[in-house]
Amino acid sequence: MKPVGFFRGTWEIAAKDLRLEWRTFETLSSSFIFSLIVLVIFNFAFGFSTIKELGADRLVPGVIWTVLAFAAVVSVARSMELERRRDTLAALFMAPIDRGALFTGKFLANLIKITILQWVVVVLSAVFFNFDLISIAGPMLLVLFLHGLGLTELGTLFAAVASRVGRGEALLATLLFPTTAPIFISAVKCTASLLEGKGLSGAAGTWLLVTIGFDVLFFLVALATFEFVLEE
Amino acid sequence: MKRSPVELLIFALWGLATVGMLIALYLVFINAPEERVMGAAQRIFYFHVPIAMMTFLSVFVLLAGSVGYLWTRKTAWDNLSRAATETGLVFCSLVLITGPIWAKPAWGVWWTWEARLTTTMLLWLLLVASLMVRSYAENRDLGARLAAIVGIVAAVDVPIIYKAVDWWRGQHPILFKPGAKAPLAPDMQLAFVTCIVVFLIFFTLLIAVRYRLASLEERTTAAMERATVR
Repeated sequence: MKPVGFFRGTWEIAAKDLRLEWRTFETLSSSFIFSLIVLVIFNFAFGFSTIKELGADRLVPGVIWTVLAFAAVVSVARSMELERRRDTLAALFMAPIDRGALFTGKFLANLIKITILQWVVVVLSAVFFNFDLISIAGPMLLVLFLHGLGLTELGTLFAAVASRVGRGEALLATLLFPTTAPIFISAVKCTASLLEGKGLSGAAGTWLLVTIGFDVLFFLVALATFEFVLEE
Repeated sequence: MKRSPVELLIFALWGLATVGMLIALYLVFINAPEERVMGAAQRIFYFHVPIAMMTFLSVFVLLAGSVGYLWTRKTAWDNLSRAATETGLVFCSLVLITGPIWAKPAWGVWWTWEARLTTTMLLWLLLVASLMVRSYAENRDLGARLAAIVGIVAAVDVPIIYKAVDWWRGQHPILFKPGAKAPLAPDMQLAFVTCIVVFLIFFTLLIAVRYRLASLEERTTAAMERATVR
């Protein structure tokens, strides 16, 4: 059998994961419900008066990114957990496919799921915390995408690591949150800048550049190391 | 019995570290003058800063061990990165303990989210996570591979985390002012440099001891496996 090339392989693996998701909506529904619960808890944690006093621009960036961080962990952990439960990791590894495509395929499927989740969470936050999303929708999409990218790259890699040792979300969070600290700092800064009506110029622009650098660097690191995780 | 080079190195380093520690204690507590503003609390700086330097040095050793292992698959590299992770974690914990002891009298708070502190805290978490991955793995080879991956990501990430937190907090206002205003007095300088050298010897000693222990473990396991087969 002729081995499948990198791009075709990436697409096949991503399509497989998305097809599974489309049939059950298992990952999206569980991470969506999880995000909703965390948003409600934040509401209790801060109380109505604190929310009014601080205003959306001070509070919302932190809330959105905390919710997204935990929801991302739930989402990427599931994608590897499914493979582990059905013992399909070995099959993936033996597939006649470019090794790099194993990572990019998983990564692409995770990225699409996380992007959908991000939009839902942000729209919900706009409703709950009452800020004007429509006027900043364009740059907001960019901010969500660029930071979601870095989060998903390391998330995909570490989800595989955690599932190989039979641990789920707890180990994944321990690995993912310290390493993506720069992403969170930048995400909160950029989101705050948008909500304050300053756009993405100035400091937020610099942070976006840092994030792009982070995304490129860790894409390469994850691409280079992912196959060692799956190896038997 | 013929001694291996690592064992000879351990003996030599052990002797040097013992003598060096005694000299360092004398230089720090008796020879160096009392700092005017911070008083006795400042003396912890002679231990705190060299230990912090060794912590970040351990990250480089970890990177070398991790890349070396994934590249060559020789367990010697994995033993090195295991030694670096554990020694690094001990030193990192010491930094996080000695830091607040100094910070409380000097800054008035135990903890502040300053770049160095935050980075050290995150590094501590990463080293713990790496040990967790290693111990959860069902066999040695898998643990070594996964820990090497975590090690590489952590080592590449630490400088980025440091820069990011630095920009996030703005420049740290208090940490460098004492040094900038009045450079260290000659006796302080002497104590400080001695401590760096002594801790470097001590750090190398710990790595060497842990490395040797790991190779012995490896040999014992191999011998036991052979015995079981027979």
